[in-house]
Amino acid sequence: MNFDMVIALLAASVQMGTPILYATLGEILTEKSGVLNLGVEGVMAVSALGAFVVAQATGQPWLGVLAGGACGVFMALLHAVACVVLLGNQVVSGLAVTILGLGLSSFMGQPFIGLSAPGFTPFAFPLLSDIPLVGDVFFRGDALVYLSYLLPFALWFFLQRTRLGLEIRAVGEEPEAALAAGLSAERLRMIATLAGGFLIGMGGAYLSLAYTHLWTNGLSGGRGWIAVALVIFAFWNPQRAIIGAYLFGGVMAFQLRLQATGSHISSSLLLMLPYLLTIVVLAASAARGRGDEAPAGLGVNTAPEE
Amino acid sequence: MYRFKPFLIVAVLTLSAFLTFGCANEKKEAENSQATTEKAEKAETATPKEMQVGFIYVSPIGDAGYSYAHHLGELEAAKLPGVKASHVEAVPEGVDSERVLRNMARKGYKIIFATSFGYMDSVIKVAQEFPDIVFEHCSGFKRAENAGTYFGRMYQARYLTGIVAGSMTKSNKIGYVAAFPIPEVIRGINAFTLGARKANPKAEVRVVWTKTWYDPALEKDAAESLLDAGCDVIAQHQDSPGPQEAAQERGVYSVGYDSDMSSFAPKSHLTSAVWNWAPIYTYIIKGVQNGTWRSEDIWWGMDKGVVGLAPYGDMVPQDVRDKVGAEQAKIEAGHDIVFQGPIKDQAGKVVVPQGETPDDAALLGMTYFVEGVVGTAN
Amino acid sequence: MALRVVKRRNPPAWSAAAILVCALVLSLGVSLALLAAIGKSPVHGLVALWNGSFGSLWAIEDALIKAAPIFLCSLGLAVAFRMQVWNIGAEGQFALGAMGATWAALTFPHAPSWVLLPLMLVYAGLLGAAWGAIPGLLKVKLKANEIITTLMLNYVAIFLLEYMVYGPWKDPASFGFPVTPEFTPSAVIPLLGVGRLHGGVLLCVFAGVLLWAFLRYTRLGYELKACGEGAKVAAYARMPYNRLVLFVLTASGAFAGVAGFVEVSASTGRLMTSIMAGYGYTAIIVAWIARLRPVPIALASFLLAALRVGVENIQLDMEVPAAFGDIMEGLILLTILSGQFFEQYKLVRKGAKNAPAPSASQETAP
Repeated sequence: MNFDMVIALLAASVQMGTPILYATLGEILTEKSGVLNLGVEGVMAVSALGAFVVAQATGQPWLGVLAGGACGVFMALLHAVACVVLLGNQVVSGLAVTILGLGLSSFMGQPFIGLSAPGFTPFAFPLLSDIPLVGDVFFRGDALVYLSYLLPFALWFFLQRTRLGLEIRAVGEEPEAALAAGLSAERLRMIATLAGGFLIGMGGAYLSLAYTHLWTNGLSGGRGWIAVALVIFAFWNPQRAIIGAYLFGGVMAFQLRLQATGSHISSSLLLMLPYLLTIVVLAASAARGRGDEAPAGLGVNTAPEE
Repeated sequence: MYRFKPFLIVAVLTLSAFLTFGCANEKKEAENSQATTEKAEKAETATPKEMQVGFIYVSPIGDAGYSYAHHLGELEAAKLPGVKASHVEAVPEGVDSERVLRNMARKGYKIIFATSFGYMDSVIKVAQEFPDIVFEHCSGFKRAENAGTYFGRMYQARYLTGIVAGSMTKSNKIGYVAAFPIPEVIRGINAFTLGARKANPKAEVRVVWTKTWYDPALEKDAAESLLDAGCDVIAQHQDSPGPQEAAQERGVYSVGYDSDMSSFAPKSHLTSAVWNWAPIYTYIIKGVQNGTWRSEDIWWGMDKGVVGLAPYGDMVPQDVRDKVGAEQAKIEAGHDIVFQGPIKDQAGKVVVPQGETPDDAALLGMTYFVEGVVGTAN
Repeated sequence: MALRVVKRRNPPAWSAAAILVCALVLSLGVSLALLAAIGKSPVHGLVALWNGSFGSLWAIEDALIKAAPIFLCSLGLAVAFRMQVWNIGAEGQFALGAMGATWAALTFPHAPSWVLLPLMLVYAGLLGAAWGAIPGLLKVKLKANEIITTLMLNYVAIFLLEYMVYGPWKDPASFGFPVTPEFTPSAVIPLLGVGRLHGGVLLCVFAGVLLWAFLRYTRLGYELKACGEGAKVAAYARMPYNRLVLFVLTASGAFAGVAGFVEVSASTGRLMTSIMAGYGYTAIIVAWIARLRPVPIALASFLLAALRVGVENIQLDMEVPAAFGDIMEGLILLTILSGQFFEQYKLVRKGAKNAPAPSASQETAP
């Protein structure tokens, strides 16, 4: 593997990581409020379709991204109504949303298979793409990739520095105390889940508008589940999600490139690595006493105040 | 005091609206369907000897890939007089396929086509329970009194596409995005490589396994990984057009599979190796209708039109077309010239000696790569 | 109009049934409207669904067979969920069970079936249990969140299965296809002699009774049943909390492992990647919808299996895409889950005079 191939591998890692990054950020926001949304896979599938359909009809990729986000909000709404308002079990609701989303996208998407829509194409970012190495890896992507560089910082700022972000975290950490302080858990969790759904939907839109420019069944291909894993890998920290997303994307890209050079390592074992790594990282940091970074109220529903 | 927020009300209203809409429609549809079923019953009594033919597919037919190609064959078969065709799609291999086969048999289907390799055990099992029904299994090697097998010699088309790719490459490196290391795929890669090296002895074929039949994003990246490694033509044994897209974006050539993939990459698409199942389906169904059907192993090739090439892209020069045309004419005349000794494996060892050709059993069990393939066959 | 939520003091006995019916009507209504939208007759669809699911003894038999692995996984999960231990890993534990059974079947192909089948059961149970014990140990020793570790181990298990089937266990006579050799007849669970029902269904009955008896007659089981909060159970049962966590994860892993054994032995007769059909995830939903009780779990597994079997009939008769079944399933599960809220709470017009008086005292209740 020569130097050019390493650069290409890193650039591919960024591209493979981007849809997962969007979805992970959405899930972080959701989980920070104490809501676990296991439906990411289904949400992404529906959004990928929605984004594609709108971009195809209007010729406007950005409208497609908005539509993808809107589909994400809609699917997240189903989840939120089931478990934030009606207090259903979050794990079950998320799984149901996955089944529903995969079914819906496949059912509704039938007429759009084989069509192509205007999407995002890579362009060299002015000035920054001239930086040696860094420019080749990070600044020859498409517009959604560049946007994804800013989002983690924006999300971090929102969660850490704004009042609303603070309240969302409070509800996720200590629902009882937040309630006592007069915060509406329901409202805050609803906001976080829907906004998270929008980000997850953008990840779906990336798949059908930037990664490929077509819609098919199974476009999400398990990436939603990877995002769920990545949230933990990143310890609910948006910036660390960047590293995680590129690592997961990198392993996928690496196993393909290793084969392209004629290597003989089993791809099953290679593909297993990121998941094992997540367990190891989780266990290691838990062992260092940092296992409590999960929002304490995650997965716990708050009963309505009476 | 806990209050219901407007969104809940909206949500409930929407759902109830859906419900009333559904019910209202139901009534209307009820009347309609009654009328149609009556009509259907009348039609049925008019032509009582209509034969039901069932197909099971492993993936949704909407995937534009392998199952879609079979479905096109189903649609052709349905046009035959006295035939009514239906299918169940996305049937997992194993216990589910066994149930679907059995239910089709119970419902009075006379011929059942199982189109994926993994259905093999189920077909044999269910065929024993329903000796009066004809089962046909695609790509398998187990047969019974009432269960035949059929497949197409896709490797012949692969060989021709290999000639095209070998003629068009400048870097002498051709990329091949492949699904799973099973003989069908390996045979195709070998045939493709033999074709490429016939046109260009210096050509090598690099293989990447995705372990997916259909993941457009991953398969696109697999193609990119091959492009990064210096390949300038991309071929594929995948059902998604992802690799085609990758080739077009990088401005290199591509060879498609399953059906004509030119619409996905008009600027890069040289040709595709395509399936056409209609001749086999027609042959089998007619055989059953005439009472001449027997359990056999149908493995038809280009001479019968089961596999073929999609129309060439404009960039394929005439001399290449002529070269391919000459080989194609031989194959269509019934001379299977693809695997002809001497054939060496990757280590350079002669596996098929000079002047010999492997028999069908050897072709069906092919698990090694020929010389010129870079990659591993497992 | 403002509404408020009031906790029901004594949920009426019929409420669960009523809610189930409402949820089914609602989700079926939406699904059938969808059918109408693509120009298919909803009534025909409903009839085809009914015929496919319950219309014949065969259909019921098919549903029973399909329900078996879901039921077994679900039983095990119910034990863990009662401890508030969120085992999402039945899928992986199922895979390990299937691998365990295969291992035994391939190692002792010539053993008589009265030796081999129990051996396969034990191998499957042990490997499944071991796969469940890993997240258990990680949780107990390192406080690692079990939702994540079990979910990750599902992937590891599936890739491991893929590796074995493509590599060491590949059948040399399969022309290179990724399947293990076919099991010898003694490694296949025999039929019961009632239609196509196999011994695995009997095993389900046995496992269900076992769990029921455990919940009813043992101290630990009683505590698990009585109060769903992990730490409290431990205190009442006078057992260390950690040991209990380990116990429930191991136990649920064993159940899922046995499900893997049933699937690989009775249904496919060899190991192949397509046995991973998502039963482990389905089982989570089933366990929860059934409120973690054995009899409702049996019922819910059967109904869900019947739905999946019935949808095939709609496909066959009406040429409706397979995805329709997923939509219907997702809707049914979401509505049932949401509906359970109304068993606990009811809506009252705010300030309405006919609001029940006891609600005032309820307001201070947690």
